[in-house]
Amino acid sequence: MQEKAEIRSKYWLAVFLVAAYTIPFAVGIYTENVFFDLQWLADLTTVILNGIMQGGVYAMFAVGLTLIFGVMRIINVAHGELVMLGAYLTWMFFFYVGVDPLLALFITLPIAFIIGLLIQKLLLNAVVGGPELTPLLITFGMGLTIIHIVEAIFTTDYRTIPYAPDAFQLTETIAVSRSKIISFVMAAFISITVFIFLKIHRIGKAIRATAQNADVAMVCGINIFHIYMITSGLAAALAVAGGALVSIQFGFNPETGVLYTLQAFAIIVLGGRGHYIGALIGGVMLAVIESLISFMIPNGTAMVEIASYGMMVFVLLIRPRGLMGPKEN
Amino acid sequence: MADMEIALDIQHLKKYFGGIKAVDGCTFQVPRGQISGLIGPNGAGKTTTFNLLTGVLEADSGEVIYNGENIVGLKPYEIFNRGISRTFQITRIYREMTVFENMLSASSMKMPVREARERAEQLMEFVTLTKLRGEYGGNLSYGQQKLLEFARALMTDPDLILLDEPAAGVNRTLLNNLLDHIHHLQEEQGKTILIVEHDMNVIMNHCEKVFVLDYGVKIAEGLPEDIQTNEDVIEAYFGHR
Repeated sequence: MQEKAEIRSKYWLAVFLVAAYTIPFAVGIYTENVFFDLQWLADLTTVILNGIMQGGVYAMFAVGLTLIFGVMRIINVAHGELVMLGAYLTWMFFFYVGVDPLLALFITLPIAFIIGLLIQKLLLNAVVGGPELTPLLITFGMGLTIIHIVEAIFTTDYRTIPYAPDAFQLTETIAVSRSKIISFVMAAFISITVFIFLKIHRIGKAIRATAQNADVAMVCGINIFHIYMITSGLAAALAVAGGALVSIQFGFNPETGVLYTLQAFAIIVLGGRGHYIGALIGGVMLAVIESLISFMIPNGTAMVEIASYGMMVFVLLIRPRGLMGPKEN
Repeated sequence: MADMEIALDIQHLKKYFGGIKAVDGCTFQVPRGQISGLIGPNGAGKTTTFNLLTGVLEADSGEVIYNGENIVGLKPYEIFNRGISRTFQITRIYREMTVFENMLSASSMKMPVREARERAEQLMEFVTLTKLRGEYGGNLSYGQQKLLEFARALMTDPDLILLDEPAAGVNRTLLNNLLDHIHHLQEEQGKTILIVEHDMNVIMNHCEKVFVLDYGVKIAEGLPEDIQTNEDVIEAYFGHR
């Protein structure tokens, strides 16, 4: 019976995803935004490539959220604010010290790791394993605090970092912006490094063991409180790295973190809560659909948030474990 | 019993869950270098006692002296690092990690990586799981999971091993295999082993000493043959005659 429900939910999810990817095309045809010529196909290819590049970055910061959820069952609604903080840290090092945004990662990532450790030590350790609402409210409050502090220092003005704005010409008609390619390569490098760390390194194995069963991990000699702190540090570092990589592509202000939180949630719901590879796949899928919406639907850029909300709501309704998440007990 | 022979000295251990007295002032001494059994009817407090000894639950009061130190209040990983390791009544392996990864997960952070890998290889060989080293824990049969959990408990070469119902759900051949391993550990390596078990054949034929709990209190202890004829034990299991 359960197996049948499992198979049914998988099929429904497949149907939903096909429908979700078809809708922008259907609306595009209806509004005459789709042209069946080579130039349009080249533009479409560019848009999809951009989406994939963007998805790599989304996936990387969503992995941080999924790690925290997987290991501690904590929903960190301030994750997007850490992404935003990463963008501001990068901006500060770029404008005030003149450090290249990518080189700044060598400074910002250790800072982020320490911020993550402190958040865990001071705020979250006391509530791990308790009711889910408590950490949710704590991180919500923390997110608001970060927004207000950043607003007080930097105002609500949008900031940008001019970095590799030129396009890389793949063919005569297909071009991808250099900053997107650089961001994607960096995000892929960081994501793969973290994946290998989790798979091979002793601490990575301990993180995975704790995620699977914290009680057993403890009787196997793993100090789960250290693991919680390392996980939080790692998640904060991934968020800040994500912030650095989006800061060289888009403008940002203190409020943009909310959108990143939403995107990260949509990604981990789609990929499967607590699942690393699922988050990577979910990130790319979400970014591609966002790109298709903004490309084919009139005024689509303003509607991309619908993709995140819609994805999250429908996947939760159809198949709460997403593409690759563990079965619900 | 001379002090030197005691591996674990449990004194007046108590754990209440609301009004339920799961363990109620339990006192007994586990002899060093022997296989001992902890038995009792369902709900007697055996698994709770194991959980208290390994720090999974925190005792309300009482002491557990191990190597001269009271280990009550220590975290499970601190107790593990002091040389006490355990298995569970229902196997708790990491289902989404391979057999080899399951083994490595129980190696102390202080153990050099190469040494941990060699130890894991030896133990997989010991419990005949080498061929399944790359298999995910969740794909193993229940018996194989029991063996894996047993081997994992030996990763840091503990002095005291607590086995919670090793015979449950295991076929006779595998059980005999497991019991051979347990005897090997005790006879060749001088390990202390405490077994919670419902299978009386295992307790009577393989344990040198047996402790009996009922309603969280130790009601008897002694040699297996004495326990079999003990009036209090018979009453606990079968009620008044």
